[in-house]
Amino acid sequence: MSTASSQTPVNDAIRRAEIDVSLRHPVMFFFTSGAAWLAVAILLGIISSAKVHSPGFLDGCAFLTYGRVQSAHISALVYGWGCQAAFGSLVWLMARLSRQECRAAGLILVAGHVWNLAVSLGIFAILAGKGTGMPWMEFPVFAWVPMLASYFLIALWSMVQFKVRPAGHVFISQWYILAALIWFPWVFATAHIMIHGFSGNPVMDAAINAWYRSALIFLFFLPTGIAAAYYLIPKVTGRPVYSYSLSMLGFWSLAILGPWAGMQKLTGAPIPNFLPYLGAAATILIAVPAIAVGVNLLKTAAGAPDTVVNSPTLRFTVAGVICLLVVAIACVFLNNPAILPGTQFSMAGYGFDLLVLYAFFSFIAFGMIYFVVPRITRREWLSSRLIKMHFFLSVYGVALVVLVALFGGAMQGIGLEAFKQPFEDAMTRAYPYAVATTLAWCFLLFSNVFFFFHLTLMWLRLGRRSSHPTLLGVHHDDEMHDAIHGPEGDIDNGGPGSATAHSH
Amino acid sequence: MIDPTKPDLEESVNVTATHERVVRGAAAASRENKLTENGAEPVSLWVTALCFIPVLAAGWTLGNAGTLFSYKDTVKSGYVRMIPDDGEGDAIPPKTALDAYMAKGAKIYSKCSGCHGPDGKGDGANYPSLADSKWVHGETERFAMVILNGLTGPTSTGKTFGVMPAQGAGMSAEDLACLMTYVRNNFGTKTGDVVTKQMGVAALEISGKRAKVGAPVTGDELTADHSKNLPGDVLDPKTMLDPKTLEPAAAQ
Repeated sequence: MSTASSQTPVNDAIRRAEIDVSLRHPVMFFFTSGAAWLAVAILLGIISSAKVHSPGFLDGCAFLTYGRVQSAHISALVYGWGCQAAFGSLVWLMARLSRQECRAAGLILVAGHVWNLAVSLGIFAILAGKGTGMPWMEFPVFAWVPMLASYFLIALWSMVQFKVRPAGHVFISQWYILAALIWFPWVFATAHIMIHGFSGNPVMDAAINAWYRSALIFLFFLPTGIAAAYYLIPKVTGRPVYSYSLSMLGFWSLAILGPWAGMQKLTGAPIPNFLPYLGAAATILIAVPAIAVGVNLLKTAAGAPDTVVNSPTLRFTVAGVICLLVVAIACVFLNNPAILPGTQFSMAGYGFDLLVLYAFFSFIAFGMIYFVVPRITRREWLSSRLIKMHFFLSVYGVALVVLVALFGGAMQGIGLEAFKQPFEDAMTRAYPYAVATTLAWCFLLFSNVFFFFHLTLMWLRLGRRSSHPTLLGVHHDDEMHDAIHGPEGDIDNGGPGSATAHSH
Repeated sequence: MIDPTKPDLEESVNVTATHERVVRGAAAASRENKLTENGAEPVSLWVTALCFIPVLAAGWTLGNAGTLFSYKDTVKSGYVRMIPDDGEGDAIPPKTALDAYMAKGAKIYSKCSGCHGPDGKGDGANYPSLADSKWVHGETERFAMVILNGLTGPTSTGKTFGVMPAQGAGMSAEDLACLMTYVRNNFGTKTGDVVTKQMGVAALEISGKRAKVGAPVTGDELTADHSKNLPGDVLDPKTMLDPKTLEPAAAQ
C-alpha cells in the first residue's frame, strides 16, 4: 500500500491503474457472466411473455410451461444479471473511492463462481419443477445459503477498504455503496431465514416475500444504481454534484422509507389491513428520494450537455437517472387508492419491477460497464456504432416494455375490479398489451445482441489500443477524421487535445 | 476547498499534456477528471413542491386505508365474479315438452322432498304419499290449490296428516307448472300430460281470488270449488321446446 502517494497527476493515474488492474478479473467476471445471464433472462422473458397471449406456444414439454419459465426468467434477471452487475459495480467503485487496491481478487472471483453455480442450479431446479413458487425466491432452499456466503466473501473486502480508506472526505457514492452492501444481506437473510428457517404462518410468509421483493429493489438495486450514477456523472463531466442538501435528502429519505414498503402487493389479502396501506404509502413516498436524486444528478449533468451526448457512459447513466424520475411517477400512480386494488393480479407489478430493474438499474449498469471495462482491460471500445445501436434500441425496447406493462396492468386491473363483468373481459383488455410485451422483449434481445458482441470482443482483449476514448460524436468534429473511433492516435502521442476528448 | 492529499478531489489536469511519460495502458485512467467537492446549491422551492405531491398522495392512500384490522372499508361486499353466458344456452338441443317441464320441475321438487321424500312416497305417518294420490293425478286446479295454499284436514285418502304449509310464496307460474308436471309424471301413475305455463298463470289467479285467501285449503273446499282442470290450451307433450325458455323451439 503506497501511503506516500505524491500529488502529481501521473502518480494519480498510476494509482488508479493499479486499482483497476487489481480488480481486473473479478469485475470483468461479474460483468461478462452478468451479461450472459441477461441474455438467458431475455430469452426466457420472450418465451414466458409469449405464453401469456398464445398459451399454445412451446407447450410440448413440462419445463417450458409458463409457471416455470416466468420464474426462471425473473430469477435470472434479478440474481444472474442484476446482482452480478451490482457486485461488479460496487466492488470497483468502493476500491476506487477508497483508493485501495483489491487484495482478495482471487477470493472474490471464487465467490463469484459459487454465486453463479448457485444461480445456475437454482434456474435448472426451477425449470425442473422444483421451484418454491415464491416470487423472487423461487430457487429451492439449497441455493440461498451458498448465495449468501459468497455474497459475504464478495462484499467483505469492500467494507474493509472503506474502513482503511485515507482519512477525510466520504463521497456521496460511498454512502450508497455502504448502505447497499449492508442492506442486501439484511434483506436477503431476513426473508430467507423467516420463510425457510422458521415455519411461520403461511399468510405472513407471503407478506414477508412481498416485503423482500420490494426491499431488494429499494434497498439494494436503487442505492447501487444511485451510487454508480453519483460517481459517473461528476466523474465524466468533471462538475461538482449540484446540491449537497439534495444528496442528503435523497439518501436519508430512502433509508428511512425503503424498509416500510412492499406489502401493498398483498392488498386485500387476509393480513392486518394496515400493512398493505402502510406499504403503499411508503412506496408512494419513495418518489421523494427518487425526485431528490434525479433532480440533483440531472442538474449536475446539465452543466455539460455536450459531454452527455458524446460519452457512452453518460448517455446510459443519464437515461437511467431520467428513468428514476419515471419510477417516482410509477410509485405514485400504482399505489394510490384508485389504482392500487387493481394492480395486485395484473401485469403492473411486473412492469414496475422491470422499470426499476431494467430502465433504471440496467441502464446505469450499462453506463458503468462502458466506463469500467476499458479501464480494466486497458483497451478502448471498438465501435461507437455498436454502442449507439445498443443505446437507442434499449431505450425503445425498455420504454415499450414498461409503458405497456404499467398501462396494460392498470387496464387489466380495471377489468379485474369490475367483478360484475365476466372474467374474460379482463383478459381481453390485457391481450394487446401482452402481445406488445413480447415484441418489446424481442426488441431488447435485438438491442443487447450488439452489447453482448461488443463486450465479448472486449473480454477477448480485442479492444482498441489507443489513448482516445470511443465517443458517440453526433456532430462532425474536424478532429475526428474517423467518425467511428474518434481521432486516431497511438498510446504515446501527445494525448487528447479537445475538451470533448476528455469526456469518457 | 482543495485538499492536496486527496488527488481524486483536485482540478482536472491533462496528464499527457503535463507529463510525457504516460504509463502504458493507463491511458483511460490518466484521462479521468477528478471528483470535485460537492456543490452547495440550496434545495429549490420547485423541488420541494414536487416532493409535496407524493406526500399528498401518500396521505390520500392512508386516508383510504380504513381501520387497522377491519376489512369492511376496503373489501367490496358481494364480490362474486359473474359467470358469463358462454353461449351454450343457444346450443342446448330442444327437448319434448314433457321432458323440458320435468327437468325444471325436478329442481323445484327438491323443496318438497324434505317431507314427501325423494321418491314422493311420504313416510306414511306424518307426511302423505304423492305417488298414487287422486288429487295429485286428478284435476289440475285442485292439485295447484294444495301446492299454493297448503292443506289442512284430511287428504284424498281420508287420513289426516296435519297441516301442509303453503308453498306459493315466491313461486312463479312457470315454477308451479313445471313442478306439477314433474310430480304428476314421476311418482306412481304417470298422467303423461303437461301443465303449461299458461295454466300456471290461471292457477295463481284462481288462488288469489279464493274466499279465504292465504288460509290452507280443506278437502271440502277443494271438492266444492276446485274439482276441475286449469283453463288453458292443452300442450302436446311431444312438442319440441327450448329447455331454457319453454317456448316452442325451431324445428331442427
